[in-house]
Amino acid sequence: MDVGTALIAQSHRVDLSPTTAIVWALWLLVGFAGIFPGIVAYMVWLERKVAARFQDRIGPNRVGPFGLLQPIADAIKLIVKESIVPRPADGLVHLLAPVIVLASAFLTLAVVPFAVGLVPIDPPSGLVYLIAVSSLSPLGIFLAGWSSRNKYSLIGAMRAVAQLVSYEIPQVLATIPVVLWAGSLSLVSIFDHQAKFGWNAFTPPGLLAFAIFLIAGVAEVNRTPFDIPEAESEIIAGYHTEYSGMRFGLFFLAEYLGVFAISCVATVLFLGGGMPLPFSSFPVNLIDGSVGSYILADAILLAVFLAKVLLFIFAMFWVRATLPRMRIDRLMNFAWKYLVPLCVLNILFAAAWFEVVVRPGRIEAGRWAVGMIGVGLLTAAGVQLVFWANRKLAAAAPIDADWPAVGAARGG
Amino acid sequence: MARSLFLAIAALGLLAALGTVLARNLVRAALHLVAFFFCVACLFVMLEAEFLAAVQVLIYIGAVAILLMFGIMLTRNAATAEADLSGGWRVPGVIAGLCVFAALAFGINNAVSPSGSGAWSAIVARPALEPAEGVAWKAERSRAIDDMPRVVGEQFMTRYALAFELAGLLLTAALVGAVALAREEPAPGDSEPATAVEAEAAVGTTP
Repeated sequence: MDVGTALIAQSHRVDLSPTTAIVWALWLLVGFAGIFPGIVAYMVWLERKVAARFQDRIGPNRVGPFGLLQPIADAIKLIVKESIVPRPADGLVHLLAPVIVLASAFLTLAVVPFAVGLVPIDPPSGLVYLIAVSSLSPLGIFLAGWSSRNKYSLIGAMRAVAQLVSYEIPQVLATIPVVLWAGSLSLVSIFDHQAKFGWNAFTPPGLLAFAIFLIAGVAEVNRTPFDIPEAESEIIAGYHTEYSGMRFGLFFLAEYLGVFAISCVATVLFLGGGMPLPFSSFPVNLIDGSVGSYILADAILLAVFLAKVLLFIFAMFWVRATLPRMRIDRLMNFAWKYLVPLCVLNILFAAAWFEVVVRPGRIEAGRWAVGMIGVGLLTAAGVQLVFWANRKLAAAAPIDADWPAVGAARGG
Repeated sequence: MARSLFLAIAALGLLAALGTVLARNLVRAALHLVAFFFCVACLFVMLEAEFLAAVQVLIYIGAVAILLMFGIMLTRNAATAEADLSGGWRVPGVIAGLCVFAALAFGINNAVSPSGSGAWSAIVARPALEPAEGVAWKAERSRAIDDMPRVVGEQFMTRYALAFELAGLLLTAALVGAVALAREEPAPGDSEPATAVEAEAAVGTTP
């Protein structure tokens, strides 16, 4: 059975029948109000455990077995805490800001295909939708910093907006190869394409795009080493300095939801969604139209999908427990001088890969080998070129010129 | 149903637009503008132009509004970003607004159609909203929705290529101008040319 028809038959497209309405209501109630916040709660627990292990501690172990009830205790604490709003703050905007950030994180999850038929909505321009809703969160962060009437909040908000706007560009450009190969903006079609041609991360331009997407994604959700906007040793807590109680809890929820969402999107775009094997459409080809086959295939897909997402989440915790924070100017330079040129070059390499491998319509061993060697060498040369150019630029500048304090101390 | 929804969204959009003009606080005005952009995106969704709605949110809320707020923040005292549109500028402002409205109304109503087809208002390229005859109608409608990014892209590269390139040129010019304005010139007697640009170039020395 053709993979594409199986997937499209499951997507809710134009008709708003009672069945669709019930499915959407279930998604809202069970998924968005139940499972996703639950996942976030246990991500926090996992992060505390993982970070504790990295620092040779034990981590939460008092509330329930292995501290498993800790997230619930945390949630109750956040809800019953008093929410303090500073007197000069702009009341309405102060309330609106965390809501916008949270809505942005939730809306991102609405187009993720977790398994066959297990996708809340599949708009034909899903990827544009994804980028659009994730571009709402800088607005919320900015409003949070502005409405607090606190200079640390404002500095944090300005840093956040500068960082998020900069890293959005490489993040969007890194998805272009995927769109080019799949010939569609729908995430279901992209999944479908990978069932035919292997995971996108297993192509040379795809691997580069994957790396760029991940780096930019970590920056988009303000995680270490890109957590300059909330650097507690410099600007207290950045844009959410003046937030307490559940309003702070919403920011917290949005941040972890963002981590989960970016992991899901990276899995779908580059690691073939829930497919366990790179070059076979294994669980999808089990589907023969019967209900049992759907359940079997979806169970495999969902389990593998969640395992991959967990891998990403663990990698982010690992990075956070290991690396120090980047300085703001180096952070911006990295986006504009490394990631953006790499992305633009990568689009050319992706076009070459499209011509060599994807154009015939099915994967052939000979063309694939030619593509791997030819486009692979091209991509490696492109990465070398960008790093070489940056090294030349850096060598031309005087030593310590990027460290204003040193120049000032020398009287320069 | 669709009509009342449209009326509600349009009314909200008009209220937001009024709020943009009347708000004393600049950030509040920008927020009203965001609400207005969002209402326009809702109208696009009602017209089944999901792609345009997403692009509207992406460009106008995700980029233009953020830049607007960034601009307010960098140029004024952030805490009290009051609009100081004093009497002297109110009349020219109203006149400029009316001129833009007149230009847009004239331009939209006199749009030149591509050769070989009639006036734009006579073209019904998209299927009607009322369900016609079952499966074929549904297939045609979903095809029209699916094809929207491709059709928009083709139009940009063919019919509207000139306008597209001109807009790009204008934005590039604005970008270059902003960099020229923001770039710090070294002081005349300064021996060490540590301009911001070169300081940035030094980043990434670590191999």
